[in-house]
Amino acid sequence: MKIKDLVYLIAFVLVIITISEMIGFQSISVGDISIGLLPLVFAIVITMILGLQFFRKGFWKQIYSKVNIEFSGKYLLFIMLPLMARYGADVAPQIREILQIGWVFIFQEFGNLGTVIFGLPIAIMIGLRREAIGATLGIGREGELAYISEKYTLDSKEGRGVLSLYIIGTLFGAIFFSILAPILLGLGIRVEALAMASGVGSGSMMSASSASLVAQMPEMESTILAYASASQLLTSFLGTFTMVFLAAPLQQFMYKLLVRGEK
Amino acid sequence: MTGLLSNKYIKYGLIILLSVGLIMFTQEIKHVKDPNSMPVTGMTVLGLGVLWLFSMIGIFISDLVNKTSISILREFPVLGWVSIVSLLMCLLSDFFIQAIQAVDFLSITTPILTFAGISVANRLVDLKNTSWRVAIVAVFVFTGTYIGSALIATLGLYLAGN
Repeated sequence: MKIKDLVYLIAFVLVIITISEMIGFQSISVGDISIGLLPLVFAIVITMILGLQFFRKGFWKQIYSKVNIEFSGKYLLFIMLPLMARYGADVAPQIREILQIGWVFIFQEFGNLGTVIFGLPIAIMIGLRREAIGATLGIGREGELAYISEKYTLDSKEGRGVLSLYIIGTLFGAIFFSILAPILLGLGIRVEALAMASGVGSGSMMSASSASLVAQMPEMESTILAYASASQLLTSFLGTFTMVFLAAPLQQFMYKLLVRGEK
Repeated sequence: MTGLLSNKYIKYGLIILLSVGLIMFTQEIKHVKDPNSMPVTGMTVLGLGVLWLFSMIGIFISDLVNKTSISILREFPVLGWVSIVSLLMCLLSDFFIQAIQAVDFLSITTPILTFAGISVANRLVDLKNTSWRVAIVAVFVFTGTYIGSALIATLGLYLAGN
């Protein structure tokens, strides 16, 4: 890593943050539902668009250099650590309340099976077969990648399914959840339930989802952040077990049923 | 310089320092744009210091458990360790809570998503080769897990009577 690359990268990040924050929170109304776009959405959209090969000429090529892109990917995890530490401070004051309804948190973990229940029939319907196994086991994060690659290898159809979902989730997951969460809030689902659901097992998706809930209901900020992070913590503890012992068997069962019914 | 950076703790320490520095910058810009938002105060700086410290402790614990043979501990992500460290420390002292809450939550998220955007720059090409079918499936997979959890949580909250 050359110092010059890093200086360009940091300067570029400062510019993007300034632009995104200056655009600020924007609210778009679709019918009765208002969709709030946070600065974080502008930050990810602008950096993605500017990163298109089409723009990468001359000076721009130095900002989106191989080392800078690798640096961002490799150390994104560490850039996120202060966020995770912040979540601890949000959970602590609410710990009594969370423990009181602790079983609800564990109970809602089963909702993560929704990837199979909603996703698999659609996948089969539009013509996917073994790819669907990889693409609907979970939200396609590292856990599912590891499981699928161990069981089927990444070069299999299942592997391509999970890899595709991984890429799409990385690109659009945060944007998607930051729009979905306020829509469901507008449809009348309780903010506490949506906060719990935000713990999907991906740090950036969870922060996008909970942040857009906070923007809609600022007076509930502490509850939203506490519930989201408690649920996220639980997902990272239980996620592997839910996947291996519940999602995978359910998926095999549904897959056989759906594919057989077709013939 | 490179000799110093070969120590991973120094390297991680500097990257997290960059992260908290960007958070402070974001909070300042947010305050310039909207004077009603949280300003950067001495407490914010303390809070950022605390976030830095908890992150480092989390990394350290994650390294330690990686040396054990208990696989469930080894697979638990460093992100989780940092949250747990912070939760425990915040339960021990209200000071940590006060300091951290002087850091604006939304100012933490913008720098992260900026880096996320840059990091996917080369994957946009892969997406072209990805079938459009998976994109449709992704919408249902993401919506499915979210609505699934939200509905069960709603039922749970109702049964819990609150």
